[in-house]
Amino acid sequence: MIEKSRQQSTETPQGSVMKDVAATQTSEQRLLSAEQQAQLCDWMHRIANHRDRKAFACLFKWFAPKVLHLGRQRFGDASQAQELLQESMANVWRKAHLFNAEKGAVTTWIYTLVRNQSFDMLRKMQTNREDNLSEDIWQQHSNERDDSAEFSDHLLDRQLVEYVEKLPEEQKNVVKGIYFQELSQEELANQLGIPLGTVKSRLRLALGKLKAHMGEHHD
Amino acid sequence: MIKYHPSEHILQSYVQGELCASLSVAVSMHVAMCPQCQHLTCQYEASCAQSFAGENLDLHGDENWDELIAQITEDTMLAEIAAPAPLEIEIKGEQFLLPSSLQNVGLSGWLKLGKLSRSRLNLGDGKLHASLLHIEKGGSVPQHTHRGFELTLLLSGTFKDEMDSYVPGDFIMLDGSHEHSPVATESCLCFTLADDALHFSQGLSQLFNPIGKLIY
Ligand SMILES: [Zn+2]
Repeated sequence: MIEKSRQQSTETPQGSVMKDVAATQTSEQRLLSAEQQAQLCDWMHRIANHRDRKAFACLFKWFAPKVLHLGRQRFGDASQAQELLQESMANVWRKAHLFNAEKGAVTTWIYTLVRNQSFDMLRKMQTNREDNLSEDIWQQHSNERDDSAEFSDHLLDRQLVEYVEKLPEEQKNVVKGIYFQELSQEELANQLGIPLGTVKSRLRLALGKLKAHMGEHHD
Repeated sequence: MIKYHPSEHILQSYVQGELCASLSVAVSMHVAMCPQCQHLTCQYEASCAQSFAGENLDLHGDENWDELIAQITEDTMLAEIAAPAPLEIEIKGEQFLLPSSLQNVGLSGWLKLGKLSRSRLNLGDGKLHASLLHIEKGGSVPQHTHRGFELTLLLSGTFKDEMDSYVPGDFIMLDGSHEHSPVATESCLCFTLADDALHFSQGLSQLFNPIGKLIY
């Protein structure tokens, strides 16, 4: 018994599987428009960065019928489908900050969360195990897409960004202008209407604080 | 160079979460070692997600989700990324780092038979037996066929059989039509999965038949 799903697919010759997937894209299915994708991205960012409940409600309502449809197909049962919806969307809420738009579409990310949840539910139904193996099976594979060095850089960046936010207003504006907007010190002095020397001294103060802060963290 | 990959069908089912745990773990370990299958897996995921999201369904307008949404968003905890701690095992004085897919799967003690040692993985997939098999350099598994199927995923070291020689990452799926006797060209560690005891087919090796159950 290799296939786990009740919807057992028959063995197909090599090469035909993807065509099958394409062929199931019948008239009820369509590709998302660029606008829809931008909308999903916007909701995700608002959830991730601001824990925005309204955005989550929109995202939830957009995906709910699709998750229920997948659940009913896989479990042949409405209450299991409902459980799949509830658990997957709770994971979307808890993991939203881990979503990285550079690595793929919102729909792909949410699909993998739903897939993992349904794997764990099927395993529980068929073998009585609640070991939630899906995290180990697929987590590793999502880490691979960023190599680990790049990954820790992201973390470092996040810590830095958080700390920059805590700097005094004047220093924060200088750091943001130079590092995030990539302005030269002269351009920034012009933009803020302050002397170049002031930009330099604010920057020195800010960098000193950031270094001390990051140093503490790395000891 | 890895030459043996899961079939497209297996990889597709893996992406859709439709394989049993033992086979999913095996594919996951292969994918971790194989850039080619990593690439395919990402493509399949994107394609499945497209079908999933493109489903044009009636919005159950009368369905009221507000209570469920409120309940979910009450949770203020953020999930953290747990960095998998590499699990190290030692067998016959050699150390191996196990792939992170196996980090939470229990291992039985090692059963040693000459140059062979095996440890069962506690994956609970009924008649499917998943094991780690260690073969010392020069050790071999007596010639056998498979009544069902046998999957060998080479994790470390090298071995050869009548058909080919294999490197880490090779995903070797055999069924009843194959007959082979693998020999370790250097000491090696494999993940094996079989759905039936091996059937040893040659002369004296028939005496080993009862150990087929033990090895795989
Ligand atoms: Zn491969």
